[in-house]
Amino acid sequence: MIEKTQIIINKLGLHARAAAKLSHLANMFNANIYLVYNEDKVNAKSLLGILTLAASVGNEIILQASGDDEQEAITAISGLFNRKFDEES
Amino acid sequence: MIKSLIITHGNLGHELIQVAEKILEQKLDIKAIAFDWQGDGSDMIAQLEKFIATNKGHKIIIFTDMFGGSPSNIATRFVNKNVEVLSGINLPGLLKFFCYEEKSINFKETIKIVEQGAIEGINIISEYLGEKK
Repeated sequence: MIEKTQIIINKLGLHARAAAKLSHLANMFNANIYLVYNEDKVNAKSLLGILTLAASVGNEIILQASGDDEQEAITAISGLFNRKFDEES
Repeated sequence: MIKSLIITHGNLGHELIQVAEKILEQKLDIKAIAFDWQGDGSDMIAQLEKFIATNKGHKIIIFTDMFGGSPSNIATRFVNKNVEVLSGINLPGLLKFFCYEEKSINFKETIKIVEQGAIEGINIISEYLGEKK
């Protein structure tokens, strides 16, 4: 299992469209992928699960992945966060 | 394969679909029927009959906006082993339905999952925050 700390930098945080993009991306990998925020841990492949975190800009979350493509999954998901979910120029 | 439609008072169903499509960034395979405020429901019944006949051989889920309302009452007439009604659908429930990848495997299980998603989408925020703290 590998994990990476990720800061949310897009203005709207983990809102609906961002969560949809994230879960869609996570579903492309075989690895089990989780987001950990405060005491909550949710399946990154679940759109509604991600929304329950109600995580905002500036919050720090931990990406966790375990499986044969865990490194690729973390790299791709971290990239999506860093690209601000492609919703800001 | 599960076919779906949403029948509501006014254009609520159309709007829910549009919002879900915007969030998921994809065209969704679901039909919306708006209840005609001036009518007696016969038009809605005819549209439902047509939808069910067109999709014969498929499982069908009919989402309605409110238990006890006319759209829901009309849909209730069509419930059988291949047709189920889920009343009180909301955005989380609709998103759950379209994101649930195993929906072709078990019809009844899928409906329970969607019901759960819709219910869990309703929260009293101060209580939710209290639980988290």
